[in-house]
Amino acid sequence: MTTRAVPRVYPALLRAAWGSAVAYRGQVVLWLLTSLFPLIMMAVWLSVVEEAGTAGGFDGPDFVSYYVAAAVTNHFTVAWVSWQWDEDIRTGGLSVKLLKPLDPFHHHAIEQLGKKLLIGAVLLPAVAAAAAVVSSIRYPVGPGTAAVAAVAVVAGFGLNLVMASAFSMLSFWSTQVHNLYQLWWGVGFFLSGWVAPLELFPPTLRRVAVLLPFRSSLGFPVEIVTGRLDGRAIAAGFAVTGAWSAGFLFVYRVLWRRGLRRYEAVGA
Amino acid sequence: MTGSQAPGLRAGTYLRLLGIFYRNSLLNEMEYRLKFWANVGLSLFWLVWAALSVRVYFRFTGTIAGWAYHEVLVVMGLFFTVNGIHQALITPNLARMTEYVQKGTLDYLLTKPVDSQFLVSLRHIGVHNWADPLLGLGLVGYGLARGGTAPDAGAVGLFAVLLAAATVLLYGVSLLLQTLTIWSVSSRGMDDVIEGLLETGRFPVSFYGGAVQGLLTAVVPVAFMTTFPAEALLGRAGWPVAVLAVTVSATIFLAASVFWRFALRSYTGAGS
Repeated sequence: MTTRAVPRVYPALLRAAWGSAVAYRGQVVLWLLTSLFPLIMMAVWLSVVEEAGTAGGFDGPDFVSYYVAAAVTNHFTVAWVSWQWDEDIRTGGLSVKLLKPLDPFHHHAIEQLGKKLLIGAVLLPAVAAAAAVVSSIRYPVGPGTAAVAAVAVVAGFGLNLVMASAFSMLSFWSTQVHNLYQLWWGVGFFLSGWVAPLELFPPTLRRVAVLLPFRSSLGFPVEIVTGRLDGRAIAAGFAVTGAWSAGFLFVYRVLWRRGLRRYEAVGA
Repeated sequence: MTGSQAPGLRAGTYLRLLGIFYRNSLLNEMEYRLKFWANVGLSLFWLVWAALSVRVYFRFTGTIAGWAYHEVLVVMGLFFTVNGIHQALITPNLARMTEYVQKGTLDYLLTKPVDSQFLVSLRHIGVHNWADPLLGLGLVGYGLARGGTAPDAGAVGLFAVLLAAATVLLYGVSLLLQTLTIWSVSSRGMDDVIEGLLETGRFPVSFYGGAVQGLLTAVVPVAFMTTFPAEALLGRAGWPVAVLAVTVSATIFLAASVFWRFALRSYTGAGS
């Protein structure tokens, strides 16, 4: 299939992915439950603030706003495609997908999108309602900045997709890729802004963290929407996201071509 | 379908069976030596990483809800211990439950002359994260050493009782969920829920404050698994807590066993 034809099949496939997500909505509820995890971090910070007054300029409401935005952002940026790639390549399920005219990457991406739409349809109204009731949830930015934050969320999702795919390509050569990716992801968990807003890190660690790809899918959009970044910092953040995305995309495509040659050799 | 009772088998027989099952699992796992040791390395990495991340909180305050850094390390060590026990004892069996019900393997298990609850809940062991409980206890020791206070014999005894109660409690709660599979047919996602709840045991329950703290003590008894045993070692808990813990875990254990037998009565088998 030519690259130009891809956008045309997306809507149809997306409808199918939505249907599948709705059919297994029980699982989505569970998914939603397990993703309340950032609120644990929020609770800890609220206890810290209770004792210390403020922490690095953050007070209670700041933490609440930060982590509510983080929970939403994470929903949209997370891309659990690595285990699927891994399974397809190991068990030979990839062969079936290769018969289809669309690159398997798009199948994985669309399946994620379908889930995100469904969860978004539940989550966004819920958060809007909470923000209307709870006065400490506040986002002091105009619609323009909010739109920039939304773009940052989409960019973060894109980066996560190509990053997970690039790692997954190693499955052509090894069976331990899942562990490797988990390790990578575990490091990122701390440096993305989950455990603490990056502003609260020691300065050296913070300077390293803003250059790594992890912040793009969590801390960066949240910092924009909470009004903590100026124009230059936002531009720099997008530059980091773009550079890592391009890098991982390149690695993914190269490994994909090499791996595919090897995969066919094994199958034949 | 009944037949879950197996008269005539004594505790010794069950222990011997467990020995055989677990030796089998271990041999299986040892085929992949590199993976085995890689997992130990990974566990150690997670432990150190988790302990270091907590330091961020203590950049801004000396104590959180009355807990100093070294005391939080004790709780975190216990979290690794309990989580490791969960992954070794609970997950492998819970994960197989879907298959038992969907493929009718359960019918076959029920015909064996051994108690069915024993078979479905303890047959398999995950050797995968076997080092977690040991590394966790190591972190507990480190936390105590850092604080400079050695617990006396009474505190250690109290701790042992509480940790044993925590294990039984974890088993009971998981069996309750596993039993639900008989009706829901799929146990997918259930283990994620248990894991998500356990995850809150990473920190002392008082970190969460108010309603959540009450919830984690009275409804979802996570407090009994990490916070209370840690308090015992730090000399903050008395025997009343132990009595309460033993009562709670015994109750849950019995309730889960009764529930399992009740569920079997409504199980009609895959074939009939």
